[in-house]
Amino acid sequence: MKYTAKPLPPVELPELRQVGQPLRRVDALGKAVGATIYGADFSMPHMLHAKVFRSTEPSARIKRLDVSCAKALPGVVCVLTSEDAPNAKLTTDMPGQTGRAARAGSDAPVLAGDKVRFVGEPIALVAAETQALAERALELIEIEYEPLPGVFDPVEAIKPGAPVIFEPDNVVARWKIRKGNVEAGFAAADMIVENTFRMPFVEHVYLELESGVAWVDEQGVINIRAGTQVIEHFRNIARAVGVPQNKIRVRGTLVGGGFGGKEDITVEIFLALLAKHTHRPVKLVYTREESFIAQSKRHPFIITHRTGVKKSGRITAAEIEMIADSGAYPYLSPYVLLYATIMASGPYRIDNLRVDSVVAATNQPFTSAFRGFGGPQAAVAYEQQMDEIAKALDLDPLEVRRVNYIKTGERNGTGQVITSATWLEESATRALEALGEKTPNHGSVKVGWGFASYFQSYGRITWFHDTSRAWVGVEMDGTVVIRCGAPDIGAGQINSLCQIAAEILGVGLKDVTIHSTDSAVTPLAGTSTATRQLYMSGSAVFQAASTVRDVLLDRASKHFEEEPENLDIADGMVFVKESANQRTSESANRRIGEQASQTRSFADSLPLKKLVAMCAAEGLPLSNLALFTAPFTDGIDPETGQGDVFPDFTFGTQAVEVAVDTETGEVTVLKSVACHDIGRAINPAAVVGQIAGGSHQGLGYALTEEYVMESGVTKTPSLAEYLIPTSLDFPTTKVIILESGSGLGPFGAKGIGEPALTPAAPAVANAVADAIGVRIHELPFTPKRVLAALDRIRD
Amino acid sequence: MQPRIVTLNVNGRRHQAALNPNVTLLYALRDLGYTDVKNGCEIGECGACAVLLNGQPVNSCMVLAWQVDGAEIITNSGLGMMDNPHPLQEAFADTGAVQCGFCTSGMIISAKALLDRNPHPTEREIREALSGNLCRCTGYGQIVEAIQMAAKAMNNGSMSNEQPGGGR
Amino acid sequence: MLPEFNLLMPKTLPEALEMLADGAPDVMPLAGGTNLIPDMRGGYHSPGVVVNIAGLEELHGIRQEDGHIVIGGGVTIAELLDDPLITQHAPVLKEAAAAFGNALIRNRATVGGNLVDAAPCADTVPPLLALNAEVELVSKEGARRVPLEEFIVGARQTLRQPQELLVAIRWPVPPPHSAGAFRKLGLRKAACMAKVDVAVVVEGDAGGRCRQARIAMGAVAPRHFRAHAAEDLLRDQPLTPETIAEAARLAAEASRPRSGSEYKLQVVEGLVRRLLTRAAGSICE
Repeated sequence: MKYTAKPLPPVELPELRQVGQPLRRVDALGKAVGATIYGADFSMPHMLHAKVFRSTEPSARIKRLDVSCAKALPGVVCVLTSEDAPNAKLTTDMPGQTGRAARAGSDAPVLAGDKVRFVGEPIALVAAETQALAERALELIEIEYEPLPGVFDPVEAIKPGAPVIFEPDNVVARWKIRKGNVEAGFAAADMIVENTFRMPFVEHVYLELESGVAWVDEQGVINIRAGTQVIEHFRNIARAVGVPQNKIRVRGTLVGGGFGGKEDITVEIFLALLAKHTHRPVKLVYTREESFIAQSKRHPFIITHRTGVKKSGRITAAEIEMIADSGAYPYLSPYVLLYATIMASGPYRIDNLRVDSVVAATNQPFTSAFRGFGGPQAAVAYEQQMDEIAKALDLDPLEVRRVNYIKTGERNGTGQVITSATWLEESATRALEALGEKTPNHGSVKVGWGFASYFQSYGRITWFHDTSRAWVGVEMDGTVVIRCGAPDIGAGQINSLCQIAAEILGVGLKDVTIHSTDSAVTPLAGTSTATRQLYMSGSAVFQAASTVRDVLLDRASKHFEEEPENLDIADGMVFVKESANQRTSESANRRIGEQASQTRSFADSLPLKKLVAMCAAEGLPLSNLALFTAPFTDGIDPETGQGDVFPDFTFGTQAVEVAVDTETGEVTVLKSVACHDIGRAINPAAVVGQIAGGSHQGLGYALTEEYVMESGVTKTPSLAEYLIPTSLDFPTTKVIILESGSGLGPFGAKGIGEPALTPAAPAVANAVADAIGVRIHELPFTPKRVLAALDRIRD
Repeated sequence: MQPRIVTLNVNGRRHQAALNPNVTLLYALRDLGYTDVKNGCEIGECGACAVLLNGQPVNSCMVLAWQVDGAEIITNSGLGMMDNPHPLQEAFADTGAVQCGFCTSGMIISAKALLDRNPHPTEREIREALSGNLCRCTGYGQIVEAIQMAAKAMNNGSMSNEQPGGGR
Repeated sequence: MLPEFNLLMPKTLPEALEMLADGAPDVMPLAGGTNLIPDMRGGYHSPGVVVNIAGLEELHGIRQEDGHIVIGGGVTIAELLDDPLITQHAPVLKEAAAAFGNALIRNRATVGGNLVDAAPCADTVPPLLALNAEVELVSKEGARRVPLEEFIVGARQTLRQPQELLVAIRWPVPPPHSAGAFRKLGLRKAACMAKVDVAVVVEGDAGGRCRQARIAMGAVAPRHFRAHAAEDLLRDQPLTPETIAEAARLAAEASRPRSGSEYKLQVVEGLVRRLLTRAAGSICE
């Protein structure tokens, strides 16, 4: 099948100078020369080293815990158990600056008291003079467990009689969507297609392990210098530690990868407790094995689709059931489930829709945020279902999408109107066209093509009433300073803010310095999650910089005797725009007799520095603190799931060509293309990097990353056993960027951080099914699973 | 177990430290202040701890400091600095090959070793040389580009700062 | 952090053997460290004494002597890749070296270390079995040679005594009209533990007939093994698609994967067939 790119609707995007350029990011050189100080790279005098003592049982009562030998080891300064911090609870509810009350029942004990609910649950903390002594102290802690029955499967967990981890019945959350009339829709269908898909735990594998240093300063403020996606956790940390909120200061570092795994609190409370108890600086660094068992995972899901379709491929009704595994504590499970529920039906217009979803607790590592937050799991199911529908109807897979793709102005599954561009057929045809000629089969190797279209939200749930703040100011020498709380987790969050400010204030990127990620000093900008920073903090910077620009141009307008809109700033010079110059020259000629004329030259300009000095002398404000708010809505209807949920969505398609060796079961990705409409690229090199990198994570999700659990024990707790893609595993994804300019972010930008990952795994799933003629319903597609599927069709 | 004085020549600087036998080169270097050498797994799978040992790229997490007493060690921070970066460091910064940056120092060490022995590598040869350095952010594409760009610059004898988009 | 141990730094092989004898049985030699150091960190090994043999001259070098290729136990995997004798006379071993670990690990990991660790997924074992290699073990008391096939007795179990060092591996230079091939199946394309390792060496004649074949497997049974039934079938036989297919079937039949890993049988059969076919094509050259 040959595909031709559908022409794009005409879009006129204004020409910009800094935005849209692949400039070297402000953080790049420091990282490249090894100068950047991450959490574990920082040390203080008299610093102690901490270790966490963790459960080795998935479900047990702690019969006896004796830390006396550990305490007695010379060089051990402090050992803390739940007795030392009985009220320390980790609010695992959604983070951020909204200040809304946490949901009851979502708290985990910081240190387990009488019960442990997963292998790796923290039980005690040790601080010692050296790391070796802290490790030795762990060995001296004596513990006796009384194993209790455990449950390791969410389907089992919600059955009556299952051991209860989360009162009263292990159900952590349920959501539903009821739209239209599903019975009538099925009755009108020519065919009904039903499939179930399963997805496992996935590990983030950020290269930087969880780490940080804490100390108590001279004002009694507990400073925590750590890699985190959320500095607003200072409130939760304060509550857990038992100090006022203004006595915790989170100094976020540049983070060596987060992907959602550093969205929840990791080391911060442990560090704060130990610093408070010892009054010395304390460092805590997880090991890789510890990171595997101690920190969050992507939710396993089982998703069943039942879809009624006409012969044309048009969907008449869809019924979707989802069950997910929250692990031992809720954390962000209710919201991951919500995302999955809302995105369950895909980027399609479905008038009759029923979705029922549930997430249940098990005695396994807790699951929480991971790039896509339920969206990737939903996509693995809905895009495979679309291909199955195409197969059942003997239609081209793109044709089935085409007749169902949602369009701007139409309503999604929760009845929210899509207001931005979707460009789905445009992205799908471009991705498929870029696959070129299909590689022929050879020997036992069968080649297949597959693609996946998707939609993924950017910006947080709108009933969270999300806000972001940024401060932008101009110094006396014309350089620019930004202060903004936004954490940078590697995607270029803070660089984008600098490029935006540089654009608006007419300076070079090198003239902008940003101070970020300090809960005491930089305006709180909210979480680096939910693909929200460019939209929210980018908009706050846009606003603040624009306000300063307005002050400058207002003053300049008096200087030039020109309207502010006829003025511009670039390369540190304020000048009259060319078009305005011409008009001015004409009117100047007329006015020559009226007043002393000023020479209006083509280069009529004023150094920004001078303008700044003029403003300062007159007491004009050369800085601005802006507050940007997302749309605020009320929650969705709990019975029907109808209502607006997100500010907007990003849409796109990924296409891949795979070769399956039917003798060995090995799958090789031969080509990978991703086409996303990102609204407007602030830094195209950063956008390409996000899409290529997110795509790689998705390809790993489909093919190499198998997280093995057995009765609550992780069997793959190392990078030798849990395999992320290496440089030799996949070709670099070819990235096609579309810019509709229709996003809500600055300059019409949308978000790309999470969307980059969402379509990759389903594209591979569809390609493998195309290659071998049979579908494998469970990720990842290991040789064992591929060979088993081939056996099924041989029989 | 008794410590002994170990001499480590790191980035042209001579260090002497009293170290126990069970101290790996990774810990020894980080304690000496070379925090560009990162701990990502300690089992030789991620390459974040890579250094040049007598010119060869190795995982410092699996070398005991005593084993390399007197050896020449180069870490990424020894190749260049902010005001005078190595062409590899510049290229990484310019192509978008640096996102979170945690894998970057190890990647550059492997890349330097590659270009030292093979100044004109193919893409396949580059990827082979990086097989011990994991990156979770970039998908490796811009890293390959950076190494190709640096190879060109190094073969032209150019150590220029004039990269497109640099420092604007 | 690693557990505590005494680290001895011998300058010569006799010094090292003296230290091993003194320290036995609670002593281990350390070369590249790519197994021992992670194993000590993970608590799998905790010797009281570690003897550093990484720099010992006597353990290095690859040479041809008396119709054999001899490699020192301390030769690294990277050295195998670069060596002209290996390229010429043992391409099966070079292929395994290229698939071994990752680019950084190969600069430290040694052949001797891979053999004495004897993990079921050890990649140098099948090629060396297919080359009919023997290992040379030396202690203060003397030296002995053991066929590799006998040396590995189980998963991570060998005949090496604590006071012995594996100083060399040797195998006969394959005669003209020989060919070898190696293939590994893992869960990703590089840097992973083998799920299936297969190596074949075929000694043939100018007419393309097989005089002797050696077929070795790893990771598909409790320990590495040679598929003798398959080898017997091919002795002095033409290498036709039929004989190759039957040999492959016998090789799979001899495999004993763990319960749940029966898929490996199919992979073994396919890979053995492909490797024999490839070797058959090469031996006439």
